[in-house]
Amino acid sequence: MRRAHLLGLGFLSPALAIILMLFLIPVLLTVMFSFTNMSTATGISGGAYEINAASLRKLSDAGAQESFVETLGKEAFVVDDAGITAAAAAYGEQFANEVGSQMLGERFDSRRDLERAFRKLKSRPRSTRDIKKAADLFKRSVLNVRFETAGGLLDAVTGNGIEMTPDQQELLTKTIYTGWTWTSDNFALMAQIPYVWRVAGNTLMYVVLTLAASVGLGLFLAITTFYLPSGTATTFRAIWFFPRILPNVIFVLMWKWLAWDTGFLSSLLGNFGVPPRNWMLDTGANAWVFIVLINGIVGASLGMILFGSAIKSIPQSMLHASEVDGASRWQQIRYIILPQLRWPIMFICAYSTLSLLTSFEYILLSTDGGPGGATEVWSLMAFHTALDNYAGNLQYGLGAAMALMLVIVGILASLVYLRIFNFNDLVAKPRIEQ
Amino acid sequence: MTSSNFRSWPLFLVLGVISMPLVIMYVYLFVDTVTDTTAGSLIPDRFTLHHWRFLWEEPETGRVSIWTVTLNTFIFAICTTLINVSASVTAGYALSRLNMPFKRFFLGGILTLHAFPTITLIISIFLILQMIGLYNTLIGVILVKTALELPFGIWIMKGFFDNVPWEIEMAGLQDGASRFTVWWKLVLPQVQPGVAALAVFVFLSAWSEFILPQVLAPSGSAQVLSTYLSNLIFDDIKPDFNMFKSVGVFYALPVIVVYLIFNKQLMNIYGGGTKG
Repeated sequence: MRRAHLLGLGFLSPALAIILMLFLIPVLLTVMFSFTNMSTATGISGGAYEINAASLRKLSDAGAQESFVETLGKEAFVVDDAGITAAAAAYGEQFANEVGSQMLGERFDSRRDLERAFRKLKSRPRSTRDIKKAADLFKRSVLNVRFETAGGLLDAVTGNGIEMTPDQQELLTKTIYTGWTWTSDNFALMAQIPYVWRVAGNTLMYVVLTLAASVGLGLFLAITTFYLPSGTATTFRAIWFFPRILPNVIFVLMWKWLAWDTGFLSSLLGNFGVPPRNWMLDTGANAWVFIVLINGIVGASLGMILFGSAIKSIPQSMLHASEVDGASRWQQIRYIILPQLRWPIMFICAYSTLSLLTSFEYILLSTDGGPGGATEVWSLMAFHTALDNYAGNLQYGLGAAMALMLVIVGILASLVYLRIFNFNDLVAKPRIEQ
Repeated sequence: MTSSNFRSWPLFLVLGVISMPLVIMYVYLFVDTVTDTTAGSLIPDRFTLHHWRFLWEEPETGRVSIWTVTLNTFIFAICTTLINVSASVTAGYALSRLNMPFKRFFLGGILTLHAFPTITLIISIFLILQMIGLYNTLIGVILVKTALELPFGIWIMKGFFDNVPWEIEMAGLQDGASRFTVWWKLVLPQVQPGVAALAVFVFLSAWSEFILPQVLAPSGSAQVLSTYLSNLIFDDIKPDFNMFKSVGVFYALPVIVVYLIFNKQLMNIYGGGTKG
């Protein structure tokens, strides 16, 4: 590698490191997480295996045979080496040896059965109480014991004398695992959500309406301010530019105040006898008007600036010539200005489609998808599913799968844009080292 | 452009009417912070400083003082700006001028990354930060915000470097300077307006950021002003809009100041910048 290459890579490396760590890895992890069932319930680190009342219920829901579930849940008395050693310590070698030689490996369903068997032995402890205690030493249960690995659990279950077919083993380990597992169910799950098509429709409506509003308004502002004397134009530009740089929490706060039932609109219309109400969250249609207005105005300020600078670059002589020829203002706009704006309009449409598709901050802050899900869009649905819902169980895996849909759309769109905006022109050949 | 063929007052009128709602909202945003209004009326009738009490009163239990939050916001915005600008300036130069392998790939990659806004990444970033223990810390949010803004910054800086004439560098090299010296002493001063514009842009963007702090550092000592204000709005059953607006104006002050000083550069980066 030449020295110049090293210099280039060296210059690039800080940016590359940050992007790799907090941009590329998250993208890859989004893909990975979307194939898991990670949620608050499963946790994000590994889980464990534990048989308890809840997991037994899950097991029978998953279709395990009732008898199998019942055996798992029951305590059992098993004569094994561990029990014999314990018995030897408590009641003497003789008793232990006798138990070992006569009953090793036997399994009893209840303590009474085991006690009855003990009573037949010669060297049994004398008192009934001691026999009970001795029997307790052989009590074995997998209930409420935590196992780190599937193997450990299976060994313990078989150690209890419970026979399992391979199918049962698989079902058991799969259902009672408390951690997350790999799955491709998320995508099927997503299609089954009853309101998913409505959300997709909302998203489309949101993008189209907001885009139309912001391009239309942006064009209007750019052209009108162009024709105004410069002082006035600057004032109007400032008024319409401010929404872009004002923190979104404040911008939405202003609209909330405007629409609140004690706010400006209600007070104003109160004078005409209209009862006060929350104009933003009153009906779905109202909510949409506000969503489109809020996002459209923010978009329009970008459009205004871009279109404005494009109009400014039109040679003045063209406009003057048209005036000498007696062109009306409309003709001037239609035949001179708009053709010059084709490229910026295309750019804004491309750029905004993508950013609108994935933006949800203004919606989150203003209607939060309400009323009743009327303004829920795809990215907000992903956010709600994975990071913020009232049910409390945050489904990271499902949310990541929803976000992945947006990633795929984003990549496809940007590939198309790279085509349109002629990527090759952007990569200039270095002129110093060839 | 003004012209003798057309009168401009109809335009003025139309624009004025359309701008009315925004102007009303701006005016009331400021007026309401120092006045009280009788319920049902539109005209404020008493002067008061009561709504600004959050500045000097002890915070309620469970709330953090506004000054801590403000300091956090400054740390967040300034660190993000510094890291972002320094990484963008070097990477932008490398992509614009230096010869290296996979240049097309890097450039295309950065453009494509621009297509991954917050939502697509925030779920996995949330989990990553929890795993590495940076959840609910300012450092975590700073790093994430920097990374998310970086593709844009690099792209913008590349554009500025592209406009610097090659002759400047060639002359420097003729005189025996190294590539690095040429960059530091000759090229960087040329793009200084660009650096300033990018810095202002990133600062404002970080200052306004809401979703990242909300998800990655929601509570307690790592709060920033955006989450502080939104928590205030969400918590209250009976909203006190005058107080919200006072906090809002307090929060917006740096933005207004920055706008007044840098409005040319801002228009420049919002206008020309995104064109690539």
